[in-house]
This record gives sequence, C-alpha cells and structure tokens, in this order.
Amino acid sequence: MEQKEIDWGVLSSIIDKHKNRKWSLIPLLQEVQEAFGYIPAPCIETIAEGLNIFSSQVQGVITFYAGFTQEPKGKYVVKVCRGTACHVKGGRSILRFMKKELDLEEGETDSDYRFTLETVACLGACFLAPAMMVNQTYYGKISPNKVANVLAQYKGKEVER
Amino acid sequence: MEEIILSINGERFSARAGTSIMELADEQGIVIPRLCYHPELEPFGACRLCLVEDEKSGRMLASCVTPVAPNMSIVTDSPRVLRHRTNIVRLMMAEHPESCIVCNKGNRCQLRQIAANLGLGPTNLYATPNYRPLEQANPFIIRDLSKCILCGKCIRADHELVVTGAIDYNQRGFCARPATVHDRGLEESNCTFCGVCVSMCPTGALSTKHFGYAGTPERESPAICGFCGIGCSLLMGVSYDKVVEVNPAHDADSINGSTLCVRGHFAHDFLNTEERLLTPMIRKQGQLTVVSWDEAIDLAVRRLSDIKKDFGPQSIGFIGSSKCTNEENYLFQKIARVLLGTNHIDNSGSMAGREVLKSIDERIGGRWRTPLSMLEDAESILVLGADPCHSVPVAGYYLKRAFKKGIPLILADPRKTDLVPFSSLWFQTSPNSDADMVNCLAACLWKKFSHDSSYIERFTDGFDMYCDGLSSFNAERLCLSAGLEMTEMEKAVELLKGKKTAVVIGEGILRQDDAIQSVESILNLMLMTGSIGRVGGGLFVLAKENNQAGAWDMGAVPDALPGRRPLRDQGARKEWERTWGTGLSPDPGLHLFRMVEEMEKGNLKALYVMGENPLRSFPQRERVRAALERLDLLVVQDILSSEIAKMAEVLLPGAAFCEKSGSFTNMEGRIQSFTNVVPPPGQAKADWDILVRLAKQMDANMQANTLDRIRDEIARSVPMYSRLNGRRGAAWAQESDAKGLPSPMKEGDKIPFFPVLFAKQKALDDDYPFTALLGGTRYHLGSGTRTEHSDRLSYFNVGGAIEVSLEDGKKLNMRDGDRIRVESRYGALEREICVVKGMRQGLIFVPTGFNGNEALELLDLPASDKTCSLENRCEVKIIRLDQRNRP
Repeated sequence: MEQKEIDWGVLSSIIDKHKNRKWSLIPLLQEVQEAFGYIPAPCIETIAEGLNIFSSQVQGVITFYAGFTQEPKGKYVVKVCRGTACHVKGGRSILRFMKKELDLEEGETDSDYRFTLETVACLGACFLAPAMMVNQTYYGKISPNKVANVLAQYKGKEVER
Repeated sequence: MEEIILSINGERFSARAGTSIMELADEQGIVIPRLCYHPELEPFGACRLCLVEDEKSGRMLASCVTPVAPNMSIVTDSPRVLRHRTNIVRLMMAEHPESCIVCNKGNRCQLRQIAANLGLGPTNLYATPNYRPLEQANPFIIRDLSKCILCGKCIRADHELVVTGAIDYNQRGFCARPATVHDRGLEESNCTFCGVCVSMCPTGALSTKHFGYAGTPERESPAICGFCGIGCSLLMGVSYDKVVEVNPAHDADSINGSTLCVRGHFAHDFLNTEERLLTPMIRKQGQLTVVSWDEAIDLAVRRLSDIKKDFGPQSIGFIGSSKCTNEENYLFQKIARVLLGTNHIDNSGSMAGREVLKSIDERIGGRWRTPLSMLEDAESILVLGADPCHSVPVAGYYLKRAFKKGIPLILADPRKTDLVPFSSLWFQTSPNSDADMVNCLAACLWKKFSHDSSYIERFTDGFDMYCDGLSSFNAERLCLSAGLEMTEMEKAVELLKGKKTAVVIGEGILRQDDAIQSVESILNLMLMTGSIGRVGGGLFVLAKENNQAGAWDMGAVPDALPGRRPLRDQGARKEWERTWGTGLSPDPGLHLFRMVEEMEKGNLKALYVMGENPLRSFPQRERVRAALERLDLLVVQDILSSEIAKMAEVLLPGAAFCEKSGSFTNMEGRIQSFTNVVPPPGQAKADWDILVRLAKQMDANMQANTLDRIRDEIARSVPMYSRLNGRRGAAWAQESDAKGLPSPMKEGDKIPFFPVLFAKQKALDDDYPFTALLGGTRYHLGSGTRTEHSDRLSYFNVGGAIEVSLEDGKKLNMRDGDRIRVESRYGALEREICVVKGMRQGLIFVPTGFNGNEALELLDLPASDKTCSLENRCEVKIIRLDQRNRP
C-alpha cells in the first residue's frame, strides 16, 4: 500500500468548518488526523492560513500532544499498556511477543502501513491488566495466545480485501 | 482606580489594582531576579526565578504573574525563597553546557549573572546537558539551543512585538525547544532576521553572528539608526573604536522600544568596509591624489569662487542629503544661499514625492506628522500603497500589532504584501486606481450616512459640493475600474462604518503619476469621517530615508527656506534676509533632475554633492554620467567610494551617522539628537565640520562655526525647531504639541473638500504589455549603497528576483530561477524571476537596490516641466532568456 497523496479537497472542507476560529485548532487537527491517519506536514501552512494563526503555532500544538502525529501510521495502531498493573501482570512479555509477532520496534510502522506499534503509560483499564488497544478497541486480560489471535484477526481482515 | 495597600520586605506600599508584584517592586527599586520577564512582553511565568513569599499565607508566588492583593506581606529574599531560587538555577545549570568560555554572551549572560549573585558555583548535580546541533547557516543569527532555558522571550518577542510568527515551542518536556515550521533553519522560514530575539535572549542560545570580531563589546553607546524614516534608538557595541554590534536601546519612550529590523541590527557592517573614504583627495593630472584637509578645502573654495565670478551664482548647484543631519543640511543650504547666492539646492528625499507632501502641507498644515503610537488608538486603519514590512519595518510592527489588537485594517495593494495576513480585508487594486477606489469607498460610506456631521460642519468647507461629486458617478463602474468587486466594497463599508480612520500611505501612493489626486481623494475621505487632527484617526506618511523630513525642514530644497517657508513668500524671505544679513533671490532653484538638464546644456558648471550618489539613485545613469562629465567642478563629500566619488575633482571624506553628532527628524516629526559613538575613520571628519571649514574659508566672519552655534541658530530662527538643543531624547517639531500629538483642529480652522476627480485610465500599450512596480526590500535601503557594503547582507545574497504572477508564469511557461529580460521604453535589465501567489496578472515587481540599483534604468529621467518626484512604475515587456537547469 502506497502512502496516499494529500486530498486537498478534504482538507479544505475540514478547514472551512473551522475557518477563522482560533480556538478550533485542536478539533480541526483531530479531524485532519482522522481523515488522513496523520497530519501531513504540507497541511500546516494551509491550516494556519485558514485559522489566521502562525504556522509555527500550529506545529507547536501538533508536536506538543502525543495524540497527534506527523508521520503516517498503519491502518491498525496497536497500543500496549506499560502501566504498573499491566507490568505486574506480565505486560513486558506481551510487548516482547508483540514485537516479535509484528516484527516492529516501539513507535515503528511496517512498510505497507498496516500496523503501528506503540506503548502508552497507562490505558486506564488496570482491572483488565494486561491490556492493549487496537485503534479504538480495548483488549483486556491478554496473553500471548490471545494476542496472536487478535493480530491474526486484523491480518485476516487485510487478506480478505 | 482602586489602590491596594501591601508590604514588601516590611515596607508599606500602595499600588493600583492589577499591578503585578514585580512591577511594583521595580517601581520601588526592589530587586527581584528574573529571566523570562520583559516589560514589553506579556508576563509568562516560565522561569520561576522571581518567586517571592507571602508571609501571611506562606505561599510562594511568581511575582511577575501575581497581581498585588490587599494585605499581602511579601518577602523577596527569605531563606525559603533563596533556597528555591538557588535550586531552580542549579537545575538550569545542570542542563546547560559548560561552554561559557567560548560563549560570546560572556559576562552579559543573565543566567550566569544570577548564579553569581546567588553565590552559586558548582551545582553538585548530575549534569545532563541537552546537546543540540549548532544552527548557523544564515549570516545573522547563531542558534545554539543547548543553551536555551525555555524562557520563551524569543517566541513572545516574535509573536507580540514583531508579529512574524517564525518560531514557536515545539515538543514538550526535556525535548521542548523553540523551532520554525517543519523545524528547518531560520533561513528557510519566514524569519525576517530582525534580530529582536537575539537582543532579548538572556543566555547564549541566540547570538549575533559576527564577521571578524567575536566577543563582548568594550562599551555600549546610544545612537539613532541612519537607515529608514523611523529613526530607531540603538545601542551600539564598540570595541577598539569600531562598531561591532547593534542592539535596540530598549528605551520605553523611543519609537522602536525593543524592536529593530534586519538593517538596523545587521547592516552596520558598512561602517567598517574597506570602501570607506579615509583621506581628502583632489584630482591631479587626472588621478585622485591624497592631500591635506587644508589643500582640499582651499581648492574647493577657490574653484567655487572662480566659477561664481566667471559664470555667476546660477552656475553652481548643491545636492544635500536626506541621510545627513539637520545641522549639516542647514549649513549646506546656508553656504549655497548665503555664501554663493544660489537657490540651486535639493536633496534626494525630494524624489520620494515631496511635491505631494507639500500639497498635503498646504492643505491640512502639519497634521500629517503623526506619532506611530497613535495607530494603537485608531478606530480603523486603511493602508494604501505601502509595504511597511519591507520599507519601514517598525511601522509594519505597529500595524500588525494594531490588527492583532482587533482594530479593523483594510489594505489596498496590487501585490500580496507581507501585511495581507494581517488585514481584515485586502483590496487587490489595479495600479493607478487608488483615487477611484477611495472615491468609491467614500460614496458608499456616505450612502450609509457614515459621515461625521458635526466635524464636517465645524472644520470643513464645501461638503455639499463634495456630495454632489460623490453622487455624480456610478459606484459599481468605479469599483470595476479599480479592479474590485462591489461585494468587497460593501465589506469595507461594514468595517469602516461610523469609525474614524487612520490612513497609512507609502511610496505606492506618493510615487504615482496622479499622486496628488489620489491624496486629495484620501483627504476627502478623512475629512468626511472626521479623521484628521483627531485621536482615533490620523494620516501617517511613511518616509524611506532617515532625515527626509529634516532635510526639507532645513531648507535643502530649491523652493523653500528653513522651516518649510516658501521662497516666494516675501515675509519669509525678509525674515531670513535679516537673519543671514544677505539678499535672497525669490526664484526657486533647480530641482535634482533639472540640474541634470542644465548640466547637459552647460549652464551648470559646478556641483557640490554631499552624501548622495546620483549615479545610483537617479534613473538613466549613463545620461547622468555624461552630464556630470560636462561639469567644470565636481566636489563630492561622502563616506563610501561610490561611482560619483570616483569622478570627483575634490573628494572630502565625511562621517556616517554614528561617527558624528547632530539630529535627525523622523517621519513623525520627532527630532532626535545624538552624539557620536565612534570617531570617523582615518582622517575623515564629521560633515558639519567639513562644511564649517569650507564656510570659514569663504567668509571669515561666519558665525555658526561650532555644532552648538549651528543648533542655536536653527532653534532661534526656525520656530518648528525651537526645541532643538542637542540633548539626547526626542523633541517634537513645533507644529505638533509637546507629546508629538498632531495639532488638534481648532475652532475657525476650515479645510475645504477637494473636487472629486477620477483616476485617468491609461491606454494600454501593446508593445509594453506589463506594468513593472519598483520597490525596496528589507535587505536593502534606497539605492542600496550602504547595505551593499554590509558583509552579512551581501553574504546572505538575497537575489532580488523579479516577482511574476502565477498566471503570467504559466502563460509564459516560466518557473522560479528562469532569467528574463525586462525592457521599458527607456532601458532594460536582466534578472531571475520567482513566481508568486497573489500578484495581479500583468504586473511584475522589481526589487530596487540590487546590482548597483540597475532597476532604475527602466525609468526615464522626469522631464524638466515635471516635478521632481520619481515614479515607481512603468510599462515594460518581458523577454524570456535561456532556460538553463531545465529537464
């Protein structure tokens, strides 16, 4: 899968919704990220012009929040929890297994933009420890076996298409 | 305002509500250390060094962001405060690299000073320096972000003072650093290299890149900038009698406060260039030969007197300088008028539309000399034909700040200037249609009853006639002829309705063919909305050169005596005849271009040029050169070895503005006196000193033979300058009041409306289908003589590419970097182009000041029946040259 070109039409329709409203920057960026999977660098100037703020300010906000990324990410973003509870319940071996399974290090995306592996400080689901997330879906009380199943499920989705 | 009583360090004070603890402490002389606070920036509370303790509540407060509250009992240096403060500094130092020994902030580093004051040596912490690569690809600023303490001063100065937005914080936590968009080098961002961040930075994270010298200057002395018409207050760093660094003076009363521009900050390298003239020279057997001052002055005087004797005083011309001081220009015109008896005196400031200013003067008096600070109180702003972000950057900062404050700003310019993002509305007018645009706007406002009836009744005449004029035309058609849509006009009316309007005009208005007519339509609009001579409005005319106003005030013009008194006014002449004890001819002398014509005819035999280079600042240089060659005598007094200096028979080395004392009058009418920072190089002398020697040689009884005496004579005889006294700090030209506010409209003052006229539609010329606009950039001033000799500016090598519109670029199949030949009816030039967004089709922009200012070759020398104003536009055709680098 190739990295997509920026669809400027989509971008400008997002910007139009928020035009000249300075406080709208974060919701706007969220929508851009939703639409593109990341915030492409060439968008920054266009967004700044639309909201009538400095480009440097837009970039400042993007780089400040971990939730925004300027790198294209995989279709499935896997977040493994590194919180205390998960750690105690073997989160480290889950992460190790995951790395091997996906052949990715933390923060990496595979070459065909299917999977991105990330870790987070805490998912806030300690009662389900060890926990992980794939995009917006939580998976709790996971074991290497279960992880393999979950991943297979997502890999399978790709094959079907 | 509510007063609040509190105590600091046991002493009781009262303060206005809303004052911060730090502001109160500063007023009372109580020292609180700080790194991120600056009085001109919004308090930020980043560095936490200004912590103080409230004994009552036991709380630790950052004093810069904490307002005073009743019954506070503040201690600024309790043991607890000191412990916290020390720890904060320790942590900063642990992150700081130990490179103090090679850091050119040296002992001026505020972190180091504060650490020393706290008695802090080794931190005894595990050092975790935050190493970052050094960024120094540009010739102005070195960024060593490992020394950054995240005080945010650079970012806030960038956002709040100069409003450029080149940098902002990126990342967070330990990784946080100021960065440009996409984290590229400054030279690839929209940074204008104003250097304000450098002069704000408390540590060595940002420092000036030096060519040749690196270190702390031995001393710093105040000066007034000699580039544009703003007249910024400077602090010049000096080592070994050379200016090695320039910073803003951070003087709250000055026009620039803590800001400067790239020229003010970095272009002073020209002071130390090898091209400086160091010794007086005369031409012996065709060669310029070094001689003593006495010999050079002697020859100049003898030759001038001979020519006067043989051909009469009308055969001698004088070109003064809008870059020299008031005192020098006064003395210069006095030598011309009194000692040699000629009115043939002018200065290059006249080219920038003095005729137009004169007409404004005649109509509304001095009410157009308005302090820029009044822009902050404007109700609405209209900017016409001005690109202040390049021509007079500090005025650009004022406008951008005003817009950020929420004042509606309407911009009319055919080009997408740097001010466009800071305008509520941008009229992309077609050139030469300003009068139509303004008339149309006035008609629309009038239809909405948005005129100030009480003002019109009290202070104006002929409003009925004006209304008749306004109703006599079809607004839609007019709008169209200005190249605009009626809907845009309606938006503008919504923005301006019921408000006074401050109007800023620049070269785009002053240097057009119908300048006077455009200005009249602007004045009409301002009279109708009650915007002249009132707070909330005001007319602001941007001046390109530092003493353009002063040279005129001092009478270095052919048709006016000092104090702008017209030569044909018999009363004025009588007064000056009494002062000078001599007769004065009522006939105006030759202006700059007529001098050239008279030289060609052989009527003008001798020319004395002070601080001007007609071979660079006039159009048609070959014609000018041929005219100069016909002279019997050419005396040149200059600082740089320019083209004209090489032609001189007598060459007198003068001094640059910071090498002499004197005063400049800026575009606001602010008279700023200064004393020299360094001595002139070599045997060069202050220009007033040279002129005094010359005058003494001509007339031993000449009274004004010291700077103080010249000043006294000016203050005594020129009412506008009665406050000139040589002391540092600003005096204001007397036509305005003590604070420089424009003289308010008085009962009985009646300003007439002017007849409504429309812009002349120029017939299109098929042979020359494009219109070239000529204008300056921020990297060069005027003809670029001084800025070209500035090492750092020339190293930066901005090419002065010709700007072409997107549409024309496509049509002619041209891309950035292609070379074109631009031909007008009078001359041609070749340069690279860049294709820019937002330029009107059929228009190109040619930056001036590059390549020996060859851009002026496109223009014609105005004919003798015309005024001395030089247009900034002409019809051209474009020829594509080779397209190298093409795949």
